[in-house]
This record gives sequence, C-alpha cells and structure tokens, in this order.
Amino acid sequence: MDIKETLFRLSDLSAVGSITEASDLAFELLSKYADTARADGLTVIGKLKGKSDYTIMLDAHIDEVALIVTDIDKNGFITAAKCGGIDLRTLPARPVTVHGKKDIAAVFCSTPPHLSKGDEVFDDISKLKLDTGLGEKAQDIISVGDYITHRTKASTLFGTRVTGKSFDDRAGVVCLLELAERLSGKKLPCNVVFSICDSEELGLRGAKTAAFRIQPDEAVAIDVSFGDGPDISPDDCGKLSGGAMVGVSPILDRRISDRLADIAKTEGIPYQTEVMGGRTSTDGDVISVTANGVRTGLLSIPLRNMHTDVEVIDTEDIKSVCDILESYILSGGVMND
Amino acid sequence: MTDLLRRLSMLDGTSGDESAVRDFIISQIDGFCEYKTDPLGNIIVFKQGKNRSAQKLLVDAHTDEVGLIITGITDKGFLKFRTVGGIDTSVLMFRRVRINGKISGVIGGKPVHLTHGDEAKKLPEKSGLYIDIGARDKAEAESAVAPGDRAVIESEFTVMGDKIKSKAIDDRIGCAVLIKLIREDSDYDFYASFSVQEEVGLRGAKTAAYGVDPQSAIVLEATTAADIAGVDFKDSVCRLGEGAAVSFMDNGTVYDREYYKAALNSGIPCQVKRAVAGGNNSGAVHLSREGVRTLAISVPCRYIHSASSVADIRDFDSALSLARFMINGICGGKIK
Repeated sequence: MDIKETLFRLSDLSAVGSITEASDLAFELLSKYADTARADGLTVIGKLKGKSDYTIMLDAHIDEVALIVTDIDKNGFITAAKCGGIDLRTLPARPVTVHGKKDIAAVFCSTPPHLSKGDEVFDDISKLKLDTGLGEKAQDIISVGDYITHRTKASTLFGTRVTGKSFDDRAGVVCLLELAERLSGKKLPCNVVFSICDSEELGLRGAKTAAFRIQPDEAVAIDVSFGDGPDISPDDCGKLSGGAMVGVSPILDRRISDRLADIAKTEGIPYQTEVMGGRTSTDGDVISVTANGVRTGLLSIPLRNMHTDVEVIDTEDIKSVCDILESYILSGGVMND
Repeated sequence: MTDLLRRLSMLDGTSGDESAVRDFIISQIDGFCEYKTDPLGNIIVFKQGKNRSAQKLLVDAHTDEVGLIITGITDKGFLKFRTVGGIDTSVLMFRRVRINGKISGVIGGKPVHLTHGDEAKKLPEKSGLYIDIGARDKAEAESAVAPGDRAVIESEFTVMGDKIKSKAIDDRIGCAVLIKLIREDSDYDFYASFSVQEEVGLRGAKTAAYGVDPQSAIVLEATTAADIAGVDFKDSVCRLGEGAAVSFMDNGTVYDREYYKAALNSGIPCQVKRAVAGGNNSGAVHLSREGVRTLAISVPCRYIHSASSVADIRDFDSALSLARFMINGICGGKIK
C-alpha cells in the first residue's frame, strides 16, 4: 500500500455524522484484507483470525473536527456550531464545504479592514458567519443540521513531510490499513480486530461502543499527538520525524508501553516516549474501561497544527508506528505477559 | 470572463514581484495595442481607437497583490516573514502558502489544545508567526528558500452562485476589465497602465502617470464591501451585485466631481462607495505633474486582502460598461 497516497485519499474526503465519504473508503480498503463490517455510525470493524482466542483491538478514529449549521438567513449567511475542538481564530476567510442537498463551497466572513480595530475577541462562534454567496437560494439547498468541513486538499511539503486536513486521525487509519495488508495471510498468534471508529472528536464515543462490541483482551489506540514548533514548549510535544510516540500514562498498561518501546529499540525503529499524567485524550481512555476493563496501549504520530486544515506530519512516522505494531502483533502482544 | 479572472487571480504577484502577472497580461494584449514596460515593471499601453481623443486619458489597474516576504530562516528550518501590504493576522493563521510560485508551506502555530486562559480568544502577535515548509533543519530550508523570497496565501478559485471566491481579486479584477477594454475595438484612443507596487504605497502608478502625462484618469479597482451578516447597512460601504462602486472621496483622493456625477448618471447599474475609507492608485495619479482629473471605478469585494475574497460577476460587467462609457464620454468630449 502506498501510505502517502492512501493518506491523501482519506484526508481529502469528509467523515462526520451523516457524511460517510472517508468511512466508505476505509471500509472498501479494509475489506481487501480483513473480514469487514460496518458498525454504528461511521465505525468500520475488520477481523483477522489467529491461532488462539486472544484478541487484540487496534483502534484509530475516522471522524474529523467539523461544524454544523444552526441557522441560515435570507441573505445566504450561515451560523454554525462546532463539532469538536476548532480554534475560532482560524476561521475568518477560511474556505469550507457545506454538505447540504449538494456540496456547497462557502467561506467564513472576516472583519472588513475598514471595520477592524485589531482587538477582535474570539469567544462566540455564533458571531462568525459563513458566506455561501447564494443569497436567498441558500435556504433551498442547506438545512439546519447540515455538516460543514474543511475543503483543503492534501499536499506534499519537503521530503516525506505532508500537509492536509483530518490527518487527525486519518494518519492512524492509514496505519490500520497498512497493518491489515501486512498481516493478512500471515499466521497470527491471536485475533486482530481493526476498529476504525466514529465520534472521537465529540468525546471518544465511537470507541466506547466499538470496544464493547469487540470485547478485546487488549487494545492499542493509534492517534496523533502534538508535533514540535517554535511556539511550543518541548515538554508539550514530540518531535516531527522523531518516530512513533509510545504513550506512557497511569491509564495505559505499562507492560504494553514497555513492550512497544522494546520492539522499537531492538529492531532499530525510530520512537520517542510520550508521558502523560492521566487521561490521554484518545480512544485509549474509553477502551481501557470497557466492560471488565481492557489492557490498553497508545502509539501516536507527531502532528503539527492539530485541528486545522494545515496539519503537518511525516509519513516516515506512520511507517514507524506500523513497523512496531507489526512485530507487536506477530509476537502476540502481551498475551503471555 | 470568469476564466480570464481565474487565470489572472491564480498567478502569484506580491508587490515588487509582478513578473508572472505582467507576462500573462502581455500575452493577452499583444496584437491589440502598442505597449512597453517601464523601469519599475509597469506595462504602459497605447490603445488606438477609431477616433482621436479630446483628452489624453490614462486607464489604470494594478498587477500586484498583498502577500508575504521571507525575512529569515530559524535554526530549526522555519521561515520568518513580514506581510507585504495590509493583511490581518486572523486571515494569516494556519494558511497554506506558496513561495516563489512553487514551494508549498503552511503558516504554523500552537494548536488550540495547548493554549492557556484567554490566549485562544485573542490573535497572536503577527511577529510570532512562521512558515513551515517541512524542512528538517536550516540547511534543508536554505536549499529551497532565501530571505527576500515572496509568498502568497494559496487559494482555490471557486464559483459560488453569481459570485467568485479567490485570492488577488484586488486588483486582478481591474486588470481583467482593462484587458477586455484593450482587446475590444475602441471608439477613441486611450492610454493604459498595468501598474506595480500599489499595495506598498501606490508606487508604480506614480511613475506610470508621470510617463504617460495624462489630463484625465480612470482607476479600475476592487474595494471593500461589508454587506455581510452582522454589519449595519451604514457600515457596508457597498454591496455585491449592485454594480460598480464610484468614489467621491477616500483616504487618498477627492475625486473629480464632474466625472463622479457623469458616472452616476450614466444609466449603467452602479452605486456610490458610501465611505471615506481605503485608497487606490488615484492617490498617486491625481497628483501627478500639474494634476490629473481622476475617477475610480471599483468592483465591490468582500474579505478584501484575504485569500478568500468574494466578488460578484455582475459587478465586473458593470465596471466594464461604466469604464467604456467614461472613456467614450471623456475622450469624445461629451463629459467635460
């Protein structure tokens, strides 16, 4: 599988609520390698059978940060609410797609220069209107409850670094698809369930029901985490191109964390440690407390400009995550530990 | 028409770096007029009409756009920049940029998750912004970019009903009107300038007007329109779809009263620019030599100086008709 090409295809599509484009593509791609089914919402679950009943769940989320229409006025201006953590300051003059009866290009209003005093306060999304350019016709095409997503196409930067929207967490989804390809047809010591989940950005909701359905013995969540930048404390971020970030946290299983790091160390796969003091703000937080509890690990891909349409990652970091997890699964995870 | 505007708007021409725009415009007007370029890079045009003109008239549009200039490269390979022309920080944060017409980068920043207190409610200092081209270190960045290189914020040209959304509508829409005027048969002779460096102080128009030495001038522009949700009518300046805006006064010019009245009485759909705000090349042209009688015809533009400027195609048609009417009126001696 071409990691970059698959990432770009997934990134350019939308997946939130009733907008299933990226989820449909993930289903199609995962079906090539695993016994795959749709679950609730956008969630896609694929299974590979192993030699034992022990089941490892690999999780990534398919949904993206988005907005939802709450009002359309007679001049074609839209008011919206957030679906996930969007920085309001990034919205003025931002081009977006409104998924109405058909997809409509729109742009967030920005304060005209003659009215701008430079002291704008971004504390209320209802003040930020969207311009459809359609005038009164907008009300025929767009309804309250329609979704709004970024429309930026993914693009290559220097070397293996790339930019686009929704790399959070399509980069994780690409890891799952790549692993499905690598592991399919191999003799596996345990079952592997790929869980491509809905509604992470609304509070880890898709993983909660998916984990309950799967009832795994252990799980590894694959998400993105903060990449480095000049205005970010090194304590708050990982290094872009520094390899997979192995999560260590009180809510994660320490033996899984250690095993993931050991594999990276032994096999010379680039990795870095990400230590958190409690919850990880990933699907791992809910998977670990599903049913009787699930031993859970976390691998993250460093990503800059999180929750914007100019997210930046290094595809080599995706590869590092895949390399670690391939060995991890083939050695049965922590099933004997 | 939309195609001409699309091709013009997608060219990168930050002030002082207008050559791609200049080359394209020359390809469009070649064979329809006499032209030359002056030392600053203005295209100076003589358009021969069917009749000689009663007045020496200059019609101007500017080729440059607001953008960014790279000022330095950090040890980690990030690029520092300044804005060229006025760009609000809110339309700079987290944008895709294109450097030297080919290198992709993004304006990066701290994700909202890592902000503290009221930090995410206020815009950051513009000086703290940086461009990330994906270079791993300074040497890698230096292999592609040098201080002084120019960048624009990338934008997709999008049709939105009767409207279009793009970067650089200010003032490629004026260039498009002027190209149309030059390519069609004219009743009268007139001069034209596609001028550089408007956004950094009306500099190209100053030398263009000196060189042409006109008695009258028409400046074709895009101007701010605030006919948007949450803004009162009185603050809206002008409105999309209601025709070209004609100025009586702005921060650079008190316009010729007779030309202003003639435009409003032309019978062509147009509107008054209802504010003393902004400015354009008229500020330089009307003070050239012993003074030049000047009119500004502007296409209303929402979110001007952002990469998501929005204008209405019907207003382009109005600006073209009105410019043609004024050329014929002034050059034919009917408008005194």
